[in-house]
Amino acid sequence: MSDETSTPLGIDRRALARSLSQVVRASVDATLQDAEVSHSAAPRIGVTGPPGVGKSSLVARLARHRVERVAPLAVIAIDPTSPNSRGSLLGDRIRMDTVADDPRIYIRSLASGQTQDGLSDNLPEVLATIDGFGFAEIIIETVGVGQSEYAIRQLADVELLVLMPGSGDVVQAMKAGIIETADVIVVNKADLPGAEATANDLRSVLGRRRARSSPPIVLVRHDDDKGLHELSGMIDDALAKSVRSGGELERRCRFNRYRVHMLAVRRLSEVLGSLPASRFAEHPAIVYRDLLTRLIESPRGRG
Amino acid sequence: MNATAARPPSLQGKRILIAKPGLDGHDVGAKVIALALRDAGADVIYTGLRKAPGFIARVAVDEDVDAVGLSILSGSHNELVTQTLEELRTLGAEDIPVFVGGTIPADDQSTLRAKGVRGVYTSEIPLDDVIASVAELLS
Repeated sequence: MSDETSTPLGIDRRALARSLSQVVRASVDATLQDAEVSHSAAPRIGVTGPPGVGKSSLVARLARHRVERVAPLAVIAIDPTSPNSRGSLLGDRIRMDTVADDPRIYIRSLASGQTQDGLSDNLPEVLATIDGFGFAEIIIETVGVGQSEYAIRQLADVELLVLMPGSGDVVQAMKAGIIETADVIVVNKADLPGAEATANDLRSVLGRRRARSSPPIVLVRHDDDKGLHELSGMIDDALAKSVRSGGELERRCRFNRYRVHMLAVRRLSEVLGSLPASRFAEHPAIVYRDLLTRLIESPRGRG
Repeated sequence: MNATAARPPSLQGKRILIAKPGLDGHDVGAKVIALALRDAGADVIYTGLRKAPGFIARVAVDEDVDAVGLSILSGSHNELVTQTLEELRTLGAEDIPVFVGGTIPADDQSTLRAKGVRGVYTSEIPLDDVIASVAELLS
């Protein structure tokens, strides 16, 4: 649109913002009609962890540090949708003001929607749209997760698990969850007491695993950039390894697999939502078969 | 899902930025409005305290919001609102409606509306009426 809305890097922020809104609001049919296939997806860094460990602040610091080398950079911050009102309070920006004014960084807050895997309904399409605008890297902050929301693994090249001192119980509980899929584990707020103990808990839990080599653990403090720089280096290593291990085709197949999965899940919700509550008084097998029929008969949209 | 659950949400699918420009440090009102809008189904982006009008306008553009709500208790509403509207215009985003909440004297309310503010809500207005008014503004 007007020149003022373009950044020095030539990104029309208003056009990008509006495209993203369309993509987020689109039904499955509309999504399939407009689906962009991203041929060159920017490296994606997923940041996950329990609520309150400082994910947003850490993402802001990472973005500010990395944008000096990798620009422009996009941040997607996801917060939960209320199951009652379907509304949401997207507050991640409160912790991101240090970078919100940087013209090389684009931040978008997203509500999780119907999805309960820590991501948001149309995230694959959102990422494809951002790729279309020529970003060099994307950081995705998931909702605060428990232990089983590791869908981010499917959409990111590198997965950071963020914890904090005193997360010992969490670590125990996570033994079989996202702790297994993380590429790098961050003990954030490491200026608080107990940081080393938490790191040790992690090492002992991870040391018992056989299948995969343990991910590196890094301590990050708010008052010192040393750990942050170390973390950024680990991300670079993990990104390089992710490319080496599977190659671009494997990566694209993995992203597309989750994309198709999400489209099917969303379509299922659409059809389920269209059934009157009274239908479910019938035998589940009957409703199930009817549901499958309706899924296949789904209208192929307007022309 | 539950047919007996309250009135139907009127703001579902709408994105609303709630921002606090200027120097006053009281964001209880902003938070109350933010939560009420969420409970009416909106996606509410809250930026925290003491934001510059230029910052607010840039966030409004980046987040592609359907409306911007400014909470101002400092008494500087005329200046801050004027600046925010100007910054939105500079970014080609003057079409985003702006509403204002806070301690706004009656005389200033008409001044603000004349500048282009689409709603002015003081603390005497019941919360439900504020939400209904915002919903109408965005319908």
